[in-house]
Amino acid sequence: MSTTRVADSGLSEKGLKAGSVGLIGAVVIGVSCIAPAYTLTAALGPTVSEVGVHLPAIFLVGFIPMLLVALGYRELNNAMPDAGTSFTWATRAFGPWMGWVGGWGLIAATIIVLSNLAAVAVDFFYLMLAQIFSDPALADLTLNLPLNIATTLVFIAGACWISYRGMETTKSFQYILVGFQLLVLGWFAVAAFAHVANGTAFDATTISADWFNPFAVESFSQFAAGVSLSIFIFWGWDVTLTMNEETKNPEKTPGRAATVTVVVIMVIYMTVSLATLAFAGIGTEGLGAGNPENQGSIFAVLAGPVMGPFAILMSLAILSSSAASLQSTFVSPARTLLSMGHYRALPKSFGKISPAHKSPGYATVAAAIAAAGFYVITRILSENALWDTITALGLMICFYYGITALACVWYFRAEAFRGVRSFFFKFLAPLLGGVILLVMFFKTAYDSMDPEYGSGSSIGGVGLVFILGCGVLALGLVLMLIMYKLRPEFFKGEILSRASQTDNL
Amino acid sequence: MRYVVGYAATARGGDAVNLAVALARRQGATVDLVMVMPEDSPYNGVYPPVSGFDDILAQQVAQWLDEGLALIPNDVQAQAHIRRGESEAQALIEAAQELGAQLLVIGASSTGLFKRFSIGSVASSLLHAAPIPVVLAPAGYSRTDPIMRVTCALGTRAGAADVMETAVAMAKSRQLPLRLVSLVALGPGDSTAGVEQARTHLHEVAQGTPGLGTEDLDRPGVEIVVGKGRSIEDAVDELDWEKGEILLIGSSRLAQNASIFLGATANRILRALPVPMIVVPRNHKPGPSVPSPVAHQNPEAAK
Repeated sequence: MSTTRVADSGLSEKGLKAGSVGLIGAVVIGVSCIAPAYTLTAALGPTVSEVGVHLPAIFLVGFIPMLLVALGYRELNNAMPDAGTSFTWATRAFGPWMGWVGGWGLIAATIIVLSNLAAVAVDFFYLMLAQIFSDPALADLTLNLPLNIATTLVFIAGACWISYRGMETTKSFQYILVGFQLLVLGWFAVAAFAHVANGTAFDATTISADWFNPFAVESFSQFAAGVSLSIFIFWGWDVTLTMNEETKNPEKTPGRAATVTVVVIMVIYMTVSLATLAFAGIGTEGLGAGNPENQGSIFAVLAGPVMGPFAILMSLAILSSSAASLQSTFVSPARTLLSMGHYRALPKSFGKISPAHKSPGYATVAAAIAAAGFYVITRILSENALWDTITALGLMICFYYGITALACVWYFRAEAFRGVRSFFFKFLAPLLGGVILLVMFFKTAYDSMDPEYGSGSSIGGVGLVFILGCGVLALGLVLMLIMYKLRPEFFKGEILSRASQTDNL
Repeated sequence: MRYVVGYAATARGGDAVNLAVALARRQGATVDLVMVMPEDSPYNGVYPPVSGFDDILAQQVAQWLDEGLALIPNDVQAQAHIRRGESEAQALIEAAQELGAQLLVIGASSTGLFKRFSIGSVASSLLHAAPIPVVLAPAGYSRTDPIMRVTCALGTRAGAADVMETAVAMAKSRQLPLRLVSLVALGPGDSTAGVEQARTHLHEVAQGTPGLGTEDLDRPGVEIVVGKGRSIEDAVDELDWEKGEILLIGSSRLAQNASIFLGATANRILRALPVPMIVVPRNHKPGPSVPSPVAHQNPEAAK
């Protein structure tokens, strides 16, 4: 029986209503996917620990590979709009084995970020309770291991349930969430600078031009670690470039929105990181941004001294942004797992769609279990779970982004030299971006074997970040081989075949 | 005539199909299975971006609809339709209106452990907005033989006449016996005067209904019954319910004109009811049953 597509009924390829998003809407979506309040609290500390005061420089430089890869992403998205994800793209370009690995990288990255989002939400949940009841002891509840794990699992289960039921976020809710985040981050920066001006800062540090010089970072290791972390802080920005029919003007809106989003994000990142450094310095004592105690979640420590009683707004902003991201991020690994199940790259059950909610039921629950499992393991093994998960996440993003960028180069190889535009967007940009990210990946992975890496947790003399990051990838390889034994059709290219752009012309 | 089924590939979707078949049999009505594909809000901010799910879902929905059509026996005309919408209830209402459907059939949620009817979110939205009668199939409804008796539940408030008219029209066109019921909750020690009042009221409403003469009330085809119990649920239990019976009930006064709003009493009736229920919009006029152009059974046509 033929199943004719119904997507020509005024909908985009992604099942979104066509022509419904304007420029501001697209920027709001972009900012919400980046979730700046969450990314800053999670990544600012670990990045400072690597590059110190050169934080602004690394944030600026980190955007370059993200931009280069995103340009390639956009070309793939335009060429194969209905095929989605790194999994299908990499399969089309490099065949089933690399496709599987690319898909696994994306799933692993999202699983890791889910567990980190839930953990950050839980920290700020208890912090907010402490602020509401003026009882600092409540904030320390998050340090109670069993309670912390239990609460995090509840958060993950809640987000999974919402995702399973297929609930929708409305435009106004997203506008409020994003507006509130930006407002609170701005407030934090202004308050921090006010303390510096009044001489009440913890460790007033004068901003210097050197902070913006990426070449002043001491070693290549630190540089690579910093860049792979700052890939994480821009992760989400490229969503604007993959928008097409859902925007009011598919020709112009996505590009403009991407530009406006990056300007907004850069302004907020620069202001907040300068404010943090100027207020707290990078000392390793007390409130210093170099204090390992503070680095897992910098705003949990600094919001109180900087914003006074209004610190509760920061808790609320981070809690709401990480909880919202937690829920929306579930969709991505669930749909990728579903797609892998559908194309028989995973057991068929992953391809099951819930008849009641028309969501990828099995895959959503699987993603939740994986995220919960990852969190429990990390939390038990690591001295600073938040820090180590973010570092492992940076690794994973570099990995799957790198593969996807090179998939773009290979898929379009036949038309790489047909004109300046093709050369730049389909060849040079993704090639450079992909190579940079894979270099960052290998360098950081190599360095992370050092037991002192990241928060300094290790098992058997090998750094925990390496074990987490590469362990997850190795697990993927094992699962892939098991799948090959069980169901070789996919790996023989019988289901999703390899193609290049010329085949489709 | 067309009856739209809000179909789902679940047990309750099957219940709804069975009931629609029962209603459509011998009426020459077409059953239209409608499935709604969700329309994602771009503001969900799904990241990393994933496409391709929509295609897989569309294939799955088409397959589900084929399975749904396979449930329908050959003597009933049936069609399948895929709709799009952010709200499933809204999309079903629009589909029913566009198709000119007389009834919208939906399965009640099957998650209620102890109750026959526990209303799912889609059914609940329909029961508070639909402009045409909504039919609820109880969990596990497997009967596909034609409806055997029409029961009409009447309250003492204004608006009873509308439901009554609809019930009379339905009983007449199907040549079925009609039962008028009123439900009275009596606390321990309450006098039974309320029961008599209810009975008198039923007679008054019946007599005021066009198409139903006084003489009809004495015929065996029409029965007037008052159900009493310690609660509305008890009163429902107390009444005898035949297999193949269907209950008609009106909307609350909170309903906007010509639409449904399930009232509190109706909600309580629903909890205890062992048979399907039709909720009639406020001020609903039973339309003349004009047979629609006969559509041939064709699963491909709608896709």
